[in-house]
Amino acid sequence: MLFSQAIGRKVVATDTASTVGRVNGYVVDPQLPGVVALIVSKTSAEGSALPWANIIAFGVDAVTVPTASAVGVPDPDLAELAGKPHTLLGKRVLTTAGVELGTVLDVDFDPTIGRLAALLLEQGPLDATRLLGVGSYAAIVRA
Amino acid sequence: MSILLRSSEINRLPVVTFAGEDIAQIKDIVYAARGGQVGGFTLNGRGLFAGPLKTALPWEKVVGVGPDAVIIRGEDAFTPVESLLAAVQSGEPAAGDILGSQVLTDDGAALGVVVDVVIEVADGGGAAQADVVGYEIDPAEGVGRGTNRMLIPLPDTLSASGEHLMVPAAAREFVTDDLAGFGAAVDDFRAHLRGGPR
Repeated sequence: MLFSQAIGRKVVATDTASTVGRVNGYVVDPQLPGVVALIVSKTSAEGSALPWANIIAFGVDAVTVPTASAVGVPDPDLAELAGKPHTLLGKRVLTTAGVELGTVLDVDFDPTIGRLAALLLEQGPLDATRLLGVGSYAAIVRA
Repeated sequence: MSILLRSSEINRLPVVTFAGEDIAQIKDIVYAARGGQVGGFTLNGRGLFAGPLKTALPWEKVVGVGPDAVIIRGEDAFTPVESLLAAVQSGEPAAGDILGSQVLTDDGAALGVVVDVVIEVADGGGAAQADVVGYEIDPAEGVGRGTNRMLIPLPDTLSASGEHLMVPAAAREFVTDDLAGFGAAVDDFRAHLRGGPR
């Protein structure tokens, strides 16, 4: 599934059957590389981070969580990864050989486990296992 | 595979860590091995008003150099400028001194003035070397090549005084105009100097 396809998807709590919010972003740990949390917008409670472990299922029509409290304030590690410098989308991609490949237009990920499959660049997909890090200047991939 | 870069293209490249942060940019190239190799880089901070840094980047810590960036593992790759300069110290003129030198052949003909340095970076990084393989020169009138800049390959070692750069007279035969065909010219020239076939 692409990052862009799931943006705006409902996040629903199974205990009350009510909508908690909508998917608004992704927090990626480049070490895995995988999605470690979702950023949820339009929440009624404080905080907007939904850690991947709190998700029951990333379904085709909705993301289900056990209760509304699954979405909350991120812990410091998560907050660090969620910071703007670590956003993948729109970031330039540099290889370890110092060559710029393009910019990340979209990201393909496995919705069952959150693992990243590929980075989509102008020129085509790039195996996500080559990803080494994402910082304010660039995403670094193995040459 | 290896790539050829002009020193002017390397200057001002960002220095980027594996974490994707641009923590410095290249200020100047520090040459080692009597000007025949890249020993490291001095650094400027990033941003419009950032000045030179007190730290430098030794070549051994460079993972990759390409047309878009210099890649390192992390900020711990940096060493104080003094220790880098001491490590490559050889009593030879520094990089800036070579630019502007007059290129003289050993039979006494002036070929022109050095305007840029051509560096070959072996692919793979890490243990890879960065050799100075030639110079771009502004040709002297007597060479009869008009005002087009030309590239002149170098042997592995050369002598340079900061005023003149001495090259074997044979270097003249291996002059090329474009960087694309330059790698082959360097290989040919070095083979020729070793007495091998052209």
